[in-house]
Amino acid sequence: MFEVVDEVLRRARRAGARGAEVYAERAHTRRIKVYRQRVEEISVALRRGVGLRVFQDGAVGYAYTSDLSLRSLDDLVARALGNASVTDPDPYAHLPTPQGEPAPVDVYDPLLAQATDEERIAVGLRLEQAALSYDRRVKTVEDTVYADSDAEVFLANSAGVRGSYRESDCYAFAYVLAEQDGQVETGLSFTVGRNPNQLTPEACGSEAAQRACDLLGARKIASMRATVVLDPFVAASFLSVLSSALTADAVQKGRSLFAGREGQLVASEIVTLSDDGVHPDGLASAPFDGEGTPCQRTLLIEDGVLQGFLYDTYTANKAGRASTGNGLRASYASLPSVRPTNLVVEGPPTPLAQVIGGIERGVLVTDAVGVHSGANPISGEFSVGVNGLLIESGRLAGGVHEVTLASDIVSMLKGIVAMGDDARWVPSGSILTPSLVIEGVSIGGV
Amino acid sequence: MGIDDIEVDLLEATIRRALVRGGDFAEVFVEDRATLGLKLEDRKIEDASGGREVGAAVRLNDGERTYFAYTDEVDERSLFAAAEAVAAAVRDAGAARATVVALGNVRTGGGQHRILVPPETVTVRLKSQLLRAGDEAARAFSGAVSQAIVSYSETRQRLLIANSEGGLVHDDRTRLRLVASVVARREDVIQTGFESLGKSMGFEVLDEDVAAEIGRLAAQKAVAMLAARPAPVGPMPVVLANGFGGTLFHEACGHGLEADSIAKGASIYAGQLGEVVAAPIVTAYDDGAIANEWGSSAFDDEGVPTQHTPLIEGGRLTHYLYDRMRARQAGVSPTGNGRRQSFRHVPIPRMTTTCIAPGDADPEEIIAATKRGFYAKSLAGGQVEPASGNFVFGVAEGYLIENGKVTTPLRGATLVGNGIDVLKNIDMIAGDFLIKSGMCGKDGQSVPVGTGQGTLRIKEMTVGGTGS
Repeated sequence: MFEVVDEVLRRARRAGARGAEVYAERAHTRRIKVYRQRVEEISVALRRGVGLRVFQDGAVGYAYTSDLSLRSLDDLVARALGNASVTDPDPYAHLPTPQGEPAPVDVYDPLLAQATDEERIAVGLRLEQAALSYDRRVKTVEDTVYADSDAEVFLANSAGVRGSYRESDCYAFAYVLAEQDGQVETGLSFTVGRNPNQLTPEACGSEAAQRACDLLGARKIASMRATVVLDPFVAASFLSVLSSALTADAVQKGRSLFAGREGQLVASEIVTLSDDGVHPDGLASAPFDGEGTPCQRTLLIEDGVLQGFLYDTYTANKAGRASTGNGLRASYASLPSVRPTNLVVEGPPTPLAQVIGGIERGVLVTDAVGVHSGANPISGEFSVGVNGLLIESGRLAGGVHEVTLASDIVSMLKGIVAMGDDARWVPSGSILTPSLVIEGVSIGGV
Repeated sequence: MGIDDIEVDLLEATIRRALVRGGDFAEVFVEDRATLGLKLEDRKIEDASGGREVGAAVRLNDGERTYFAYTDEVDERSLFAAAEAVAAAVRDAGAARATVVALGNVRTGGGQHRILVPPETVTVRLKSQLLRAGDEAARAFSGAVSQAIVSYSETRQRLLIANSEGGLVHDDRTRLRLVASVVARREDVIQTGFESLGKSMGFEVLDEDVAAEIGRLAAQKAVAMLAARPAPVGPMPVVLANGFGGTLFHEACGHGLEADSIAKGASIYAGQLGEVVAAPIVTAYDDGAIANEWGSSAFDDEGVPTQHTPLIEGGRLTHYLYDRMRARQAGVSPTGNGRRQSFRHVPIPRMTTTCIAPGDADPEEIIAATKRGFYAKSLAGGQVEPASGNFVFGVAEGYLIENGKVTTPLRGATLVGNGIDVLKNIDMIAGDFLIKSGMCGKDGQSVPVGTGQGTLRIKEMTVGGTGS
């Protein structure tokens, strides 16, 4: 693909682009769905395309295409330049310059390319079987999905940035329905890796089934203020909303509740949060970001104190500092934007049983719905619907549902009194977190 | 090769190749999509991005199985490669094998949703003026407005859909959307407001006055919420305003009527046809054919004409929403609800514009009849688990109702409930019917949808907030 990348750079320069950056990708993907121990769907695909960002004295224009013919590449250049002519010039918008060697992180496993469809299907079949045989109350596994991607990224710009890497990943999940006395509850679990052999379908299937079965018999409860335990799945969905407030983009545009609070206590002293783009086990790790800046580990909160934010080249220029390697792209069709790579929560672990044993009255939250619609990342307030297990006198006392949980992000971060010993990767974003125990949360019921 | 260069012979040959190892339905879907997106923030037009994606997908159904492949290149070599990848994936095919019918039944869409001013004929500069008009109106509304994000997007999607039953459909869809998101701040309190307009129309629907109105409405919501108190917690009567209030029906019921959930018994509405699932005053439908609506198109993404599908009549469930495969399995006609995000996605049953039909009450009369309750004027997104029917959605703009009057603004509220319970609890519906546009996500695919309803009341529903 470097031939295409160089061709676009040449044509952009010839057409008058002063600064040009080209990002190209090529990915082989496969998705297999299984239902009732039979293959339900097999999808195979080759996706490729190229995006061009031009810088004309601080004005930026972007265009992309999946059509790599020479005529189409000329059209690409014309569109990018045309778009640059309507954006407002900004003194901090300039082409990224080379920032050193790519980070030494290995994100490709050749075993993925060697896997056969039979092996991929087997992962799905084993996953569904484990869920179906977990408990006779398991009604069906609505979705059992295995998917993988083998992708190559190519990046070059007219200031001398140039690099490429290959990345493999795969995941599988099951969405289980359990039924008892006419009541249906659902459970979801994932397994992720860089090749299918790293996946753990049996454990994943059993866990998804367990999460559904544990909720059977769930009832509504009265409103109360109580201690909640967010399991890693739920903790991760809150962290992903929180993370948008930790980007320099949100800070510089007045959209972050953390603006101007560096050096202040914003969370409980046991909380340390980092963005780690070079974590060996993180699926969002990469040698460099969508602008060619090497990925790195960036401390966001240490012992409860806000340390800093995430930057891409533009926000770093504006703040007079270096990019943290967080100018990420969703695909060749999108401009880089400031986003987290792998978020990692660290703190002193306490065995989960001990945590629950110490709670007089509370809820172990295993599912939160509406986090993205019910949370306001600007004000930090949120109110979401949750399902989980009631905790009474230190014991789990049956499922609860149709309750809401409301608070604001800072009160919640400050209210963290303990963390479980169950840290794990959650793929919605790529977040490594244990269960979080929070005091004084408002729970809305009947 | 472009979408216009594809000959019928090549489509037929591709379908034939996909079917060599069996299968009872094969389809080729070719797409040429051009987009433009502009975004203003901090008073500056900071993003201007456009692109073109051309690709094709080959799909094969064998009973309940789907085999699918796509390619970013549209030429004979790539189409045949996709067809062969599909055929190679086929395992233990049933004896049934589709006979390929010659592609004769050609139909062309586009005329149902007239485009007077194609957006691609308007300069990008003129479009960027809309963003400035929206921004200026938002900031002029109140000194408390601290930030405005205004974005414009347009898409022209040209499609060619051919299948083994002989259908060949050309469709040409133009959609555009203007969205304003405004932040207001007073001391430590920050609130946001949102407003949008989306249509399957050309540039004739937008001008600077329309853009200014969208900016002003978003600012009005943000500023109103600055004075808000924390919303109360607990069950109470809820009045949902017209327009965005339609999210309720979309979440509480619509997703549970999509035939993929029904086929797997993963919906509370499975097996409920003819049963009472709502109050007798409730009539609801899905309609993908409403002229120029954001969620409309002449055909769905399987080449089936869109239609008006009655879902609930007089409180009884009358129909589900089908794509071709689920309709074939259920022995019914497809309803024009087989939709996909792009050629890179498998079509699945999806809503188009889903509505609760207007009633004969007056919106003021509904408020006046409510002694104490919650008025949800504008809803944010929501989410549902069709299997249990439990849903939740966020309230963007809410107020307390006291003694039949809308009083204090309330912030941070979420509404939770169960689909059938809530529909049965609807006791008043007004005639101020309004359709709003949005994007709906399911199985990793996002498609344009609309929701329509008049102001209505739910006798009792759980409100979750931080207040008391």
